[in-house]
Amino acid sequence: MATQIVMDRTGDTRHNFDAKKADAILKAEERFRELTGAGFTAAVRTASGEAVVKRTFDPNAEETLFFPRLVGG
Amino acid sequence: MFRQPWRKAKERLRLFLSECGRRARVLRRQSNRIDPSSRFVQGFRYGYWEREARGLELLKEWLSPEQFAQYDTKSYFEVTGCHSGKRYRISHGTSMNIHELDGAGCPCVGWCFAPKGYLVAGDVMLAQKIALETDERGALNVANKFFVPTSRRNMHLHY
Repeated sequence: MATQIVMDRTGDTRHNFDAKKADAILKAEERFRELTGAGFTAAVRTASGEAVVKRTFDPNAEETLFFPRLVGG
Repeated sequence: MFRQPWRKAKERLRLFLSECGRRARVLRRQSNRIDPSSRFVQGFRYGYWEREARGLELLKEWLSPEQFAQYDTKSYFEVTGCHSGKRYRISHGTSMNIHELDGAGCPCVGWCFAPKGYLVAGDVMLAQKIALETDERGALNVANKFFVPTSRRNMHLHY
């Protein structure tokens, strides 16, 4: 089961999907495009634990984290 | 003079937060329990402490073992900027919590940036970590710079 984690005011919202099902992957890809289009950054963790930013949807990613656009404080 | 009471207060707060996190996990397991606040405002379904605990749990999942150990004991962790190789210290908080470190490991300048919207501290720190580790220049381009008081430059900050 793969997960897309979206940071929001509740802490985070998790969307789990079965990466073996085509319709679930399509839905996850659509969510990815919507969020990145709205300014969110998508990041995944490599096997070594390093964070990597993704510009395109990766259907093999176990866990993708989305955080909103950065602004100066 | 105030260091000892400050440390004690910090320790009490840490214990309180971890207790809140534990209670939140217990409540979440009780799926038949209705949260009264969820009937009125969907966005505020979770209480403040639960949101804080969720954010911190997520942060800890993404920290490296070294960063996790550092954060657990000192309430801050250090990251390396991907472009310059400079070290940055991210302290617990949501704003004015990033300090660039000099060669001696002392804070020399502060940077302030955060994800847009009202996010909990754990989420903010995680976004700051990923931004500095993967797109340092982009993050610093939007950030505001602030100066660390001269008196604090030569000391290792412990918040």
